[in-house]
Amino acid sequence: MADTLQHSVDERPTPPVIEPGHTFASVTDTISNIVLTRRTSIGWFLGFLIAFILLMVLNLTIGKLLLTGIGIWGNNVPVGWAFDIINFVWWIGIGHAGTLISAILLLFRQQWRTSINRFAEAMTLFAVACAAMFPLLHTGRPWLAIYWLFPYPNTMGLWPQFRSPLIWDVFAVSTYGTVSALFWFVGLVPDLATLRDRADSKVKKMIFGVLSLGWRGSARHWHRYETAYLLLAGLSTPLVLSVHTVVSFDFAVSQVPGWHATIFPPYFVAGAIYSGFAMVMTLAIPMRKAYGLEGFITMRHIHNMTKVMLATGMIVAYGYANEAFFAWYSANPYEEYMMANRMGGPYGTFYWSLIAINAAMIQLFWFRKVRDNVALLFVLSLLVNVGMWLERFVIIVTSLHRDFLPSSWDMFYPTRWDWGMYAGTIGLFMALFFLFIRFLPAISIFEMRTIVPEAKLRTEHHG
Amino acid sequence: MADTSYAPPADIDARRTAALVAGLLGLAVCAVGFAVARDQFFRAWLIAYLLWLGVSLGSMGLMMIHHLSGGSWGMVVRRVFEAASRTLPLMTVLFVPVWLGMATLYPWTHPEHVAADEILQHKAAYLNTPFFLLRAAFYFLGWNLIALFLSRWSKAQDEGDTAVTRKMQRLSGGGLVFYALTITAAAVDWVMSINPHWFSTLYGFIFMGGQGLSALAFVILIAAFLSKRAPMNDVLKANHFHDFGKLTLAFVMLWAYFQFSQYLLIYAANLVEEIPYYITRTTHGWQYVALFLILCQFILPFSLLLSRDLKRASNRLVIVAIGLLVMRFIDLYFLVSPEFDAAGMNLHMEAGEHEGGFFLHWLDIAAPVGIGGIWVWMFFTQLRQRPLLPIRDPYLQDALESTGGH
Repeated sequence: MADTLQHSVDERPTPPVIEPGHTFASVTDTISNIVLTRRTSIGWFLGFLIAFILLMVLNLTIGKLLLTGIGIWGNNVPVGWAFDIINFVWWIGIGHAGTLISAILLLFRQQWRTSINRFAEAMTLFAVACAAMFPLLHTGRPWLAIYWLFPYPNTMGLWPQFRSPLIWDVFAVSTYGTVSALFWFVGLVPDLATLRDRADSKVKKMIFGVLSLGWRGSARHWHRYETAYLLLAGLSTPLVLSVHTVVSFDFAVSQVPGWHATIFPPYFVAGAIYSGFAMVMTLAIPMRKAYGLEGFITMRHIHNMTKVMLATGMIVAYGYANEAFFAWYSANPYEEYMMANRMGGPYGTFYWSLIAINAAMIQLFWFRKVRDNVALLFVLSLLVNVGMWLERFVIIVTSLHRDFLPSSWDMFYPTRWDWGMYAGTIGLFMALFFLFIRFLPAISIFEMRTIVPEAKLRTEHHG
Repeated sequence: MADTSYAPPADIDARRTAALVAGLLGLAVCAVGFAVARDQFFRAWLIAYLLWLGVSLGSMGLMMIHHLSGGSWGMVVRRVFEAASRTLPLMTVLFVPVWLGMATLYPWTHPEHVAADEILQHKAAYLNTPFFLLRAAFYFLGWNLIALFLSRWSKAQDEGDTAVTRKMQRLSGGGLVFYALTITAAAVDWVMSINPHWFSTLYGFIFMGGQGLSALAFVILIAAFLSKRAPMNDVLKANHFHDFGKLTLAFVMLWAYFQFSQYLLIYAANLVEEIPYYITRTTHGWQYVALFLILCQFILPFSLLLSRDLKRASNRLVIVAIGLLVMRFIDLYFLVSPEFDAAGMNLHMEAGEHEGGFFLHWLDIAAPVGIGGIWVWMFFTQLRQRPLLPIRDPYLQDALESTGGH
């Protein structure tokens, strides 16, 4: 709301959402040139090479897995779930920032979302793709997954267990993937048409022309576009809450101490948004530097995203405090042991590392000095990603490895195939992201045009 | 804008007196109840107390969110939030009956009961009378200090000191953290420990969401009242009510989300230490209250608040808000009363099977009216002391010019 306001309360005024001096033409040129005319930089090739190597690691681990079976992973009784579900939850959580930015901030008419929504949505799609690989591959024979996961009517009367949240997950995640893809693509159409019109070669014209679905920018097109986009935003909004709620149910409907806690749904959702914003920062900070987009992704965005991380991170920390207190308050010996083991058991270092990051380190975000230091924020965002991965590791592994029967206690050690597949999905994610930056407008051109000063006459954009 | 002093309308005084009369009458009935049905009095008092404390604290919480986020929706009712949070000294005093009623309300206050119960012995480090009172004193101290400073700085702002704007923002950040932690602990102390064996980690969120909802419903009532009178009839427009309606819808959904999550997880796991909470509430007549809550605190307001026209029409939005405040009371009644029998005796006071059943006592009507009347009197007393808008706030002009949005 307060975009146009010069804050007289403060000697340090709030930065603008777009650098002063931009016009319709400069916005279009800056963004579309990255795709159409600018020479691909050495840095891009180097980055893509690293991503590609990791992607090959993914192919290798998948090949090995399909040939040998999931015995190559380190999980075994009692830790029957490990990297597969940890990485699934980690990736799917990361996606949530994209949906929050594109849907909820749109409905709240937050102008600052405009320059980050496009690539945050792309990040969501790629993260969902990475996440979906794990449940599919952990079946060992993914070509049979449809038989286990989807309730197709079969003559033998075999159905999936509808009372299991794992089946709800299939629906939640596939809905999420579908709606996110639609939302992203619909948002791209007007920009694809701009690229089509500006493309210099026949091939480019053809490709962008087909993708832009015959967009001509007529008033009727725009009218329908706005309606569709708002409806998709409305559809996406509950998904921000529902997907990670269902993911938290995977654990919380069980009776395992450390998993069964009623706080899990909101606490997982907050954690998802927190890690997602950390990933947006991790991507945005190098990208704005490499492509000179500081005028579009301004300090205002960096500040606001840091504040969202602080708020959601505090909710996560509140969740940790609650878990610890109620483990004691429950007076249930298994709950109490679970917490004592989490803090002081063999995985204690992991627990205290995640506390150090997600509860202690984020307190730095209270300070404007920190929020102004982009390089530091990049490092802190990376650490938040690590912290949230550790959180899932601790929740999943420490709850399982010492269960009700001490005779069946055991440790979990990841194998190189575990690590390989995890690193491989990071490669897939990075590779997709590099391709996205290179071949599609990473910032929404037409929405940015609505926030340059020339557009101020029609301020009510998303009415 | 002819009048820029934004002095409160004169007929606030009539409402204020009416509230005081209603409050004193209610309190008089409560006093009779204290004499003739003491157990019921303490239980009814606790529920009514939680309802009105929820309006005070919920208003303070929303005000702190507004200080941090900005936005026209909060600016136009900031003075309402402030006045509501300045009722906290009154609420501190009205806590005394809860203190006096501890022996009736909380089984863990009885040493002989604790001696026979291993779980209570374990919890005694937390659930014991001195620590309980110490914690309550700490919560009230903190809440009162936050309300005091935010209010004092807001006054300084009216007198031209704009540097306090940042102070208010800073305190709001820390204040929200303090609020979240203390309301969670207070919910455990004052409500959860009525059934001292039961626990749920989501409980704090349920209270925060409920208090936010109570405060929003109350603010809609006051905003609608003010919007019909000078000077605020120039300020409060349909788009503000639209925003209040949207926020209310969000809180209604949040309430349902928390309640559903807690219910599903406890129902599905069916653990012996958790499930009694829902067995009690889904048998012996309480199941109808539960269904009524689902219907009238979620399905009905949710469906109504989807309508854009309703949200923009303050007359109709007010009806939803009144309904929601009533439902907030029934919700709190449903959190507390099923743990008591029809004579007002806590079901967990003695070992063994002890079943209650649905009941409603006349004190359950008198107590919310009594506390509510005094509360509203105090609220209007506070509201009329200052201009109805923070006239010197640097963001005010922007908020007034904005066509809505956040």
